[in-house]
Amino acid sequence: MDLLAQVLINGTLLGGLYAVMALGLALVWGVLNIVNLAHGAFIMLGAYLAWYLYTYLGIDPFLGLPLTAVVMFCLGYAMQRGVLNLVVRAPMFNTLLITFGLEVVLTYLAQLAFSADFRTINPPYAGSSIALGPLVVPLARLMAFGVAVMLTVGMWLFLLHTRLGRAIRATAQNLVAARLYGVAPQHLYAVTFGIGIGLAGAAGGLYGTVSQINPYIGATLTAKCFAISIIGGLDNPLGVLVGGLVLGIIESLTVLYIGATFGDVASFGVLVLVLILRPSGLLGKTA
Amino acid sequence: MVHIALRAAGAVLALAVAQAGTPASAQDIVLGASVQLTGPVANTGRYYKDAYEFTIDKINAAGGVKVGNEKRKLALKIYDNQSDVNLSVRQYTQLVSQDKVNLLLGPFASNFALADSAVSEKYRVPMVQGGGASDQIFSRKFKYIFGTLAPASNYFGSTVAMLKELSPPPKTVALLYADDAFDVSVAEGTRPLLKKAGLNIVIDERYTSNASDFNSLLSRIKSVNADVVLVAGHETEILNFVRQAKSLAAAPKLYSFTVGVPSEDFRKALGKDADYAFGMTAWLPDSNLKDRWFGDAAQFAAAYKAKFGYDPDYHAASGAADVEALAQAIEDAGSLDPKKVRDAIAKLNFPSLYGTIAFAENGQIDLPQVVIQVQGDKLQPIYGGKGFIEKPKYPMPAWDAR
Repeated sequence: MDLLAQVLINGTLLGGLYAVMALGLALVWGVLNIVNLAHGAFIMLGAYLAWYLYTYLGIDPFLGLPLTAVVMFCLGYAMQRGVLNLVVRAPMFNTLLITFGLEVVLTYLAQLAFSADFRTINPPYAGSSIALGPLVVPLARLMAFGVAVMLTVGMWLFLLHTRLGRAIRATAQNLVAARLYGVAPQHLYAVTFGIGIGLAGAAGGLYGTVSQINPYIGATLTAKCFAISIIGGLDNPLGVLVGGLVLGIIESLTVLYIGATFGDVASFGVLVLVLILRPSGLLGKTA
Repeated sequence: MVHIALRAAGAVLALAVAQAGTPASAQDIVLGASVQLTGPVANTGRYYKDAYEFTIDKINAAGGVKVGNEKRKLALKIYDNQSDVNLSVRQYTQLVSQDKVNLLLGPFASNFALADSAVSEKYRVPMVQGGGASDQIFSRKFKYIFGTLAPASNYFGSTVAMLKELSPPPKTVALLYADDAFDVSVAEGTRPLLKKAGLNIVIDERYTSNASDFNSLLSRIKSVNADVVLVAGHETEILNFVRQAKSLAAAPKLYSFTVGVPSEDFRKALGKDADYAFGMTAWLPDSNLKDRWFGDAAQFAAAYKAKFGYDPDYHAASGAADVEALAQAIEDAGSLDPKKVRDAIAKLNFPSLYGTIAFAENGQIDLPQVVIQVQGDKLQPIYGGKGFIEKPKYPMPAWDAR
């Protein structure tokens, strides 16, 4: 019984981390209709940024998150204006190609710049835990979970209640109507992409604190984020949180009861089920 | 699907843009290799490139290799296989069929050596590889593949022997292993050893390569209270395993890992958390290991560190031994004929910085594994063929009592 409870805690915390990683991907996908295959590579860059901030400037990875996010936002904004804007009206396949190319370039640049060495962001509390009777709650993961919930709810409120957020949603729903109401899509697309990359950067800082960083972590993270976005749905940041939690808990339970090689089978199995039963995601609007 | 197609396209491009090492003159003896210089395994792959180049330069500086009556230099033709097995097979095919290299050096990792040795066998060009230890590579009666890593099935051999002599004696063991050629061989070899030693295997679990979340497995280990945890996996997984063990306060009496512990980079990434981790190595830079080209293993290690800025581990030493084995075999054969060199390799028996190079009937070297442990900021040899070398720090204290 304790074991089950412990694994549920593990899965929930893992799910929170998943959610914050997928948040940016889902936003960009939903609004710009770009499946950003380089999303994982941006998470990787954010992780390195947080690592440098912590190792050389002594900035705590959690306190450094806003800084990481802002730097990554600027990078994302520039990237959208300079590169992705060229294919913004092109068919989906072109955007897949260009973001895939970005992923390859960023990964190899990262290896040139940072070498293939492993890094970890290892503040003194990274391995600490809170004991609840027989159960253990890892502190860094709990904090990452808290950040994930805050960012998700923050995003939700931002999209729902701010002028910029409403403009982003309006553009996603109907570009022509939004333009008639004075929305400048070029700037708006770049801001949205920037926010997506900023979120990826913040997720990278969290990831580096609980896992390890090397130039090649991106591709698998992109795949995971892709699954979470589909499971949760693109309409609503809360859906991404649900998607992350579902995936984290299912994976953890699968490893416990079925076997450690079946984690991915389970998560992509859920993905297929969701596509069949609820194609617009668990929290998506049904047609 | 798109992803796969694009990867394939990238691979073709990479084939076209060959990465040549030292430019070969007509008279040079060319050794060909395909190594992981980029991609997820690049971290260990580059040790082989460094070791190959380092050893070839050293041999050339001494005048080269004697073939019959003339001395000839060595040259290296190396490709980056981007940590992709399929690409490495194509590159080895290109090395022997188009580049017409004389002899082959190996890639890193068992699954690569397993696939690439089919090329050396088909074209009858001998390959001496120091990166694949899986018993599967040598169980197919191939004639042209030789390996300088000790058999995977015996990686935990010395560790299990040590377990029997520890006090308090451990009783239960959790065995975790990744689902690839090397780690499966390790697990298959370790299981009977544990049973023979009278240890009770309470968890025996295979996990997916590149897994990053070990929380469920660690929670199970904790709930059954396993005394010993043995993990056969890759460095990234083991890094995550140790970090998550700490954050779940899971501290068995002892844990040991097939890879990572001997590498400086691994210990650096974990910092203080690497303390108490056990591992094994078939090679330590010992000045008793005399070497024709470098003097001895200690001098090799010092010169290597001076050149590349990191300590060589057994991967690097094994790679250096591969070049030396080919050089020695060419001199013994007095010819570059692949068949004659192959027969000379099979008969090799010479001392080197890596130990005595001699291959068994199946083509694999047999070297004992020394148990090592991280103690503070030092890596200590703990247990070898003749029993304890240094005192092990055992049992491992709880994480909050460190």
